[in-house]
Amino acid sequence: MSAVSPAAKPLAPATKPVTLKRRSPLSAIRPSRAILNIVLIVSAVFWLVPTIGLAIISLRPESLFQQSGWWTALSAPAQLTLTNYKTLFSQGLVTGGVLDSLVTSLEITVPATLLVTVISSLTAYSLVFGRWPGRSVVFLVIVGLLVVPVQVALIPVVQEYRAFGSLTGYNPFGTIPGVVIFHVAFGLPFGIFLMYNFYSGIPKEMLEAGRIDGAGEWQLFQRVALPLGLPAAASLMIFQFIWVWNDLLVALIFLASNPHYTLTIFLFNQTRTLAANYWIISTGAMISIFIPLIVFFSFQRYFVRGVLAGAVK
Amino acid sequence: MTAQSAITKPKAAPVSAAGNPGGGWRDHLGSLAFLAPGAIILLAITVYPLVATARNSFYDGTATNYVGLANYKEIFSTSSILVTFRNNVIWVLVFPFVVTFIGLVYGVLSERIRWSTAFKTIIFMPIVFSATASALVWRTIFDLDPHVGIVNAAIQTASDWVNPPGFYPIDTSTGQTVAALASTGVSPGPQNTLQSSSTVTSGNSVELGLIGVAPATLQLTGSQTAVEPTQTPGSVTGLVWRDFSPTNPTAKGQVLPDELGFAGLKLTLLQSNGSSAGTAVTDAHGDFKFDGVGSGNYTVQIDASNFSSGFTGIFWLGAQSLTPTSSLNQTAQALLSVPLVDISMILAYLWIWAGFAMVIIGAGLASLDREVLEAARMDGAGEWQTFRRMTMPMLAPVLIVVIVTMLINVLKIFDIILNMAPGSSQGEANTLALAMYNFGFTGLGNWGLASALAVILFILVIPAIVLNLRRIRG
Amino acid sequence: MASVTFDHVVKRYTSDVTVVKDFNVEVADKEFMVLVGPSGCGKSTALRMLAGLESISEGSIRIGDREVNNIAAKDRDIAMVFQSYALYPHMSVYDNMAFPLQMQHMKKEDIEKRVKSASASLGLANFLDRKPRALSGGQRQRVALGRAIVRNPQVFLLDEPLSNLDAKLRGQTRIELQKLHRELGTTFIYVTHDQVEAMTMGDRIAIMNAGILQQVGTPGEIYDHPANIFVAGFVGTPTMNFVPATVQDGVATASGFHVKLPKALPAGKGTLGFRPETVTDRIPDPDSSMEMNVEVVERLGSDQFLYGKVGGDSVTARIDPRIKVEPGDSIKLGLDTRTLHFFDSETELALL
Repeated sequence: MSAVSPAAKPLAPATKPVTLKRRSPLSAIRPSRAILNIVLIVSAVFWLVPTIGLAIISLRPESLFQQSGWWTALSAPAQLTLTNYKTLFSQGLVTGGVLDSLVTSLEITVPATLLVTVISSLTAYSLVFGRWPGRSVVFLVIVGLLVVPVQVALIPVVQEYRAFGSLTGYNPFGTIPGVVIFHVAFGLPFGIFLMYNFYSGIPKEMLEAGRIDGAGEWQLFQRVALPLGLPAAASLMIFQFIWVWNDLLVALIFLASNPHYTLTIFLFNQTRTLAANYWIISTGAMISIFIPLIVFFSFQRYFVRGVLAGAVK
Repeated sequence: MTAQSAITKPKAAPVSAAGNPGGGWRDHLGSLAFLAPGAIILLAITVYPLVATARNSFYDGTATNYVGLANYKEIFSTSSILVTFRNNVIWVLVFPFVVTFIGLVYGVLSERIRWSTAFKTIIFMPIVFSATASALVWRTIFDLDPHVGIVNAAIQTASDWVNPPGFYPIDTSTGQTVAALASTGVSPGPQNTLQSSSTVTSGNSVELGLIGVAPATLQLTGSQTAVEPTQTPGSVTGLVWRDFSPTNPTAKGQVLPDELGFAGLKLTLLQSNGSSAGTAVTDAHGDFKFDGVGSGNYTVQIDASNFSSGFTGIFWLGAQSLTPTSSLNQTAQALLSVPLVDISMILAYLWIWAGFAMVIIGAGLASLDREVLEAARMDGAGEWQTFRRMTMPMLAPVLIVVIVTMLINVLKIFDIILNMAPGSSQGEANTLALAMYNFGFTGLGNWGLASALAVILFILVIPAIVLNLRRIRG
Repeated sequence: MASVTFDHVVKRYTSDVTVVKDFNVEVADKEFMVLVGPSGCGKSTALRMLAGLESISEGSIRIGDREVNNIAAKDRDIAMVFQSYALYPHMSVYDNMAFPLQMQHMKKEDIEKRVKSASASLGLANFLDRKPRALSGGQRQRVALGRAIVRNPQVFLLDEPLSNLDAKLRGQTRIELQKLHRELGTTFIYVTHDQVEAMTMGDRIAIMNAGILQQVGTPGEIYDHPANIFVAGFVGTPTMNFVPATVQDGVATASGFHVKLPKALPAGKGTLGFRPETVTDRIPDPDSSMEMNVEVVERLGSDQFLYGKVGGDSVTARIDPRIKVEPGDSIKLGLDTRTLHFFDSETELALL
């Protein structure tokens, strides 16, 4: 969960979609292509081994775990079975179970993602197209917040939540909204930064024309800025989704008193008894990476854009 | 477009009010209403807490009593906390540069293959996995048991090829000894060998009784009931058997019907000067025969290779260090001693982040001016020179972005340590962010100390904040 | 100093995308050869194949007697000025110019001598410490030239080097480049899409279209004897007039006039071509005079161009600027029959 570096390509509305495939100027020269291909094939295999290993472990009976390596399944695929998944899914929505954790993760991730996107868009709109004094200072503060570690806020926010609880009777500590708000706050600097850069590329004349035509600020935002900003918003959403989905620390603290876990907490708890529950861990881990993988492969282009736009949280 | 374009500054917001002079406060009100939700959340959850954490760091564990600098003093005088600084330093010094190097190599090389999209996708994919899930994956990869961990399995395969384990492995690392196997007519020889206690001459036989090997192990090697050797002229014959009868446990030195021979043992017949006069292998009943033996006294040796246990696994996630055993002085050695678990975790983290570095650097490469590189080639620069004198300098801003981003990332490293380092080595692998969590939210909870750690973490990222602000303002 | 030969050169990207087709040109030693054609015609690709930046699909390219197909760009002893100048952004002007010499492991003092003399002759002596981004467009262009000059190459390649300059600077630089060519006494191969640059600078011009070489010749040859309709239309401003015509008994008849051809042609249909400057207010032969309905009048001071209809065909004429003509007027014009062109209707090749 780290930094966002602002030194990144702004998402201008007119730029070509950034994809993983770009031909380099050097591609005209191709010495010893066989060696090159072999080196990269070996690298790719190395990179695939952990994921494939995890998938195979989750598909092998628990009893085989200590007996033989998962790689033996490559020559004896008959070992593979869906038993582990069936067992986990047959538990249903038992509190603290893997499916319950999956639901909790979604309950946190979806609102946190949507809120960050909407609020970032609003704030960025105000910073770019508003004309109130001090906009540039506010923007600099937000840039400064980009790399602030979450650790500096954990304890005071717990205190704030408790104070809010004793004041109003509703203590967000240990609740899903409490986790969501924290994620939104730490997602905002990057979100605002990304949307700011994108909106800065929209010709000001477009908004001015709207104003002359009699549109109010809200209409301008809704009818002009929001639709134009969709590509950047898509990048932001995917980015934020994966960040919140993969978070352990914030959930660990703010859900500590909650019987429902996120998937990362579920996995973390299981590691405390590693040898006994390895089938649960590997199957749970597969379930936990399943959704980010779908998101990644469906929206790879937007995800890469988000990465380029602000390095990584 | 130049290299900088991959990291261009955001365009400045339209400066000063343009047009609409009559808009007045109503416009500002509208704009500020847009700003409000973001501003309130940021103030409440990031800006105010920053100040509150600074305050808490001067208070005690419950954040009620002022204690001055006590928390900071404790941090810098407690060795278990100082370990976190060492580990953060290791991460910061090693990881950003290695990951950038790998990203650069992959970025440059992958541009020249037809399947670059597939390659980049494969390398980039782990970035969407949670550090928690990745840590679990890598925990199995580095598992001590070669039946579970593929790294140890690979080393074992290679090791067995060079130095295969014997049929009767004795794991000397757990305190077992080969000498303890000797029972009847056998004495420990040099270097984990066993030798007949007495010498033997041609035409005679020896019986060598061993203990301490389980019947199950013998059955695995195909051993059968021990059979007394038959003496043969011109040969030395003999028997190696398990000198323990479950029905007659005290009958040492006798070959009984419920005792098994040792199959497949490798033996050497030694002359009195210690040189080899021949080799033999025991049959299923434990019998052996050296043919064509001349006159003289011989000793039968059971070779060390029979007891070699081979490779049993390296504890990659352990706390032991890779201390260089050179002639360096102690301070230098201490500085260079890196716990194995740190190295393993760095490898796992490289797996996660190399794709990020590759993609950013790849975009930087793609934005380089193609004609400049062609011009360099026309000017007589070879491929390596073009890379070193053109590509690298023009790419430098991008490389710095990657290094700085990764540096901030590993300063805050948390999940991978918590999930990957097993309990036994977690103290040795501890980092600032993890210590902050442990002090603040596990056990009794010492909020003062945890806040002081958070403040230190924040101070460490201040240079990055300054750098970012400088870039924005140009 | 060397000649350059393109011998049946083909550039193919995929089996059905061929951008240069059977290209044959011989550039003599010390010649200023201009490759000209509309964008996408393959001229830059041809140059880049010569430079070694693109592979050659078929045929061979020789510099002097040496086939260079398989010789790396850096070993071909050529220098190139790119359209974007391709200055090294992280190096000073001095280092930009010194780089190719450093690559040859030339001695430091020699590098300094060469860079100093080249920069002096290009008027860059005061800018040697600057980075390219601190230079004006014209200065950058001169640095790019300087970087090529210091190498003293056998062949000088220039890929649209003037297209990033404003009109005035472009005119000046055109003259400077010609002077430079004379001084260096090196073979120049110059790629441009601008026919004015081609006509004014080239010793000879090679015109390309759609990957095919159309004609090679001196500016005069190309102008006076275009090999086909494309060349005829590409060279000269305003464009040559083309009107459909029928030939019968040595007379070509268009919709609004007829003219006696200077050479006998077989009867049939075709396209009659004549340049605007041959349609004037002087009427040398009343038989071939024409009546123009003027639509647009362009007065350029020294010239006056009329655009209008003769019969059903659009015709451009150049007349004495002192004659007052207004759009809508009808004017009688004469045709100089000595420089008529006639093109085959099928092949578009010049028959006359």
